[in-house]
Amino acid sequence: MATPTHLLKDELDIVIPTIRNLDFLEMWRPFLQPYHLIIVQDGDPTKTIKVPEGFDYELYNRNDINRMLGPRSNCISFKDSACRCFGYMVSKKKYIFTIDDDCFVAQDPSGKLVNALEQHIKNLLCPSTPFFFNTLYDPFREGADFVRGYPFSLREGVPTAVSHGLWLNIPDYDAPTQLVKPLERNTRYVDAVLTIPKGTLFPMCGMNLAFDRDLIGPAMYFGLMGDGQPIGRYDDMWAGWCIKVICDHLGLGVKTGLPYIYHSKASNPFVNLRKEYKGIFWQEEIIPFFQAAVLPKDCTTVQACYIELSKQVKDKLGKVDPYFDKLADAMVTWIEAWDELNPSGPGAKIAK
Amino acid sequence: MALVADLQDELDIVIPTIRNLDFLEQWRPFFQPYHLIIVQDGDPSNAIRVPNGFDYELYNRDHVNKVLGPTASCISFKDSACRCFGFLVSKKKYIFTIDDDCFVAKDPSGKEINALAQHIRNLLKPSTPLLFNTLYDPFAEGADFVRGYPFSLREGLPTAISHGLWLNIPDYDAPTQLVKPRERNTRYVDAVMTIPKGTLFPMCGMNLAFNRELIGPAMYFGLMGDGQPIGRYDDMWAGWCAKVICDHLGLGVKTGLPYIWHSKASNPFVNLKKEYKGIYWQEDMIPFFQSIILPKECKTVQQCYIMLAKSVKEKLGPVDPYFQKLGDAMVTWIDAWNELNPPPQTAAPAHPNGVKKN
Repeated sequence: MATPTHLLKDELDIVIPTIRNLDFLEMWRPFLQPYHLIIVQDGDPTKTIKVPEGFDYELYNRNDINRMLGPRSNCISFKDSACRCFGYMVSKKKYIFTIDDDCFVAQDPSGKLVNALEQHIKNLLCPSTPFFFNTLYDPFREGADFVRGYPFSLREGVPTAVSHGLWLNIPDYDAPTQLVKPLERNTRYVDAVLTIPKGTLFPMCGMNLAFDRDLIGPAMYFGLMGDGQPIGRYDDMWAGWCIKVICDHLGLGVKTGLPYIYHSKASNPFVNLRKEYKGIFWQEEIIPFFQAAVLPKDCTTVQACYIELSKQVKDKLGKVDPYFDKLADAMVTWIEAWDELNPSGPGAKIAK
Repeated sequence: MALVADLQDELDIVIPTIRNLDFLEQWRPFFQPYHLIIVQDGDPSNAIRVPNGFDYELYNRDHVNKVLGPTASCISFKDSACRCFGFLVSKKKYIFTIDDDCFVAKDPSGKEINALAQHIRNLLKPSTPLLFNTLYDPFAEGADFVRGYPFSLREGLPTAISHGLWLNIPDYDAPTQLVKPRERNTRYVDAVMTIPKGTLFPMCGMNLAFNRELIGPAMYFGLMGDGQPIGRYDDMWAGWCAKVICDHLGLGVKTGLPYIWHSKASNPFVNLKKEYKGIYWQEDMIPFFQSIILPKECKTVQQCYIMLAKSVKEKLGPVDPYFQKLGDAMVTWIDAWNELNPPPQTAAPAHPNGVKKN
């Protein structure tokens, strides 16, 4: 295999939440070793996480999170991979790639190993096209273009904020679907990247995801999940709905499709059901809320959009369950923490 | 593999042509059981050779004029837009339309693609326009709705249109063709997906299927070709109208599989002459379609379409007088559609009962 080029080596952090070990990184070494890792260790902080040799990393456990954020640390989930968003907050880089520790290198139909990070970077560096659907999918890919009938004024596209990758083998199903179809595996390699159109929500999965921190970072809060919370496995979903509303408002693009990773571990559907079940009926209210959410014109930064969204969450979802009051407060806490740790970042109020 | 439903008696294949239908030989195993409606454009005295064994009706310009009389003015001449006459006269529930330079494609395993069977699958399964499923068509084998997809949206909506794609010669506009004359589409994307509600797309007519009962009256391909200032925007126009109406009525539009093999690259200079007005008019047309809201009272496709025609005249008329003509032609088309496709007879009024004799 030719040496992969390592684009954006000094501008991208890889955020990995884990409770056990990072052996999976061995397989990723040729693609990921040059990049800096931010490991967010969930669960018991006294455990030692083994990081394979040769990787440059910083590691944070619960004690570190509490120490660094003080009272604001209550916005970071415990005993749930939602804690990964702490890594987004402390990063000093422009781009983030986040991946789960049960995600391995996939092969494309020709047998070639898929350099997922390289594809994410391509996705982020090329414009998105959210205003009009291109039937040949990503017009900026080699061998493709905009089709007849695509207005020329829309061909420059808009900046891409998020690149959402997919998974071969174990698909990202909810617990009921896992229970009904325990043997289903995703074997379909769909060779496309596409922009999710403006005005359309999607279920954002956090296991193979990249984004531009400068463009959308403050909106990538993964919510209150896990220990002490009535819900789990809706962290990435929550972030996805928030970021999509904000991206649509600010004129940013969200892509989905390539790259694939190979998802090796099927989580326990009974455990999942216990975590998810409230989300399954709450989402019937959550989705219409996000579909109808309108942000005022004067919200011109991600932080301003996010604070406004948190107000609307309290106002409209608070009546569904008190959890949403807590969540709305946590959203504000998150922004305060983000601005404190990123005082000169875009949109931040200048630290006193 | 036998199809669960192959709709042989419920689907017509509409083909516009000016020369011959030799391409049908390759499609024979897939198309022969179906009825063809051939719309012959250009010189009506030309004899179009249809390969043996196909069951068909053929209409040339003289027929179009005879069948429609004064409303024939809405059907384009010297442009494949005339194909929509075939949609008008069909008596079937489904239409598949294909161009005569489109051949059978192969999937990456080398297997020949039965494009019609895939279109039928697309039309018979629901669409999901209200939220994007990241694994694409959740009704495809081996796929499903992903975590986070609300359960109340998983029944989906009826599918009105199935938009297929093309390997080899891609459907580019003239400027792109001029800049990239050698580009060929070799990427087989193994997905069908629903185009989300509120999002427009460029609908290409060369490999297209739809449910006539759900959306037929909106499938008017506009005024193009002879005597008109524009060409190669017929399917685009129909696509924007149909999508706005589908979004309003809660119907789905799918795109993706099946692929056909598009063999003929049209002349980019000729195309530029046809398209050039469209290229700058579309800068007004797109915002028009993106912002149009159909009133709640428009409950049928025809009602939606008439309302759209009014708005076209009002809002696009100022762009060019062509749009006044087009708005009128849209109304003429609906008149013609209603005449040739009258609503089913209502039950004959019951004879008044006589007084019951004791």
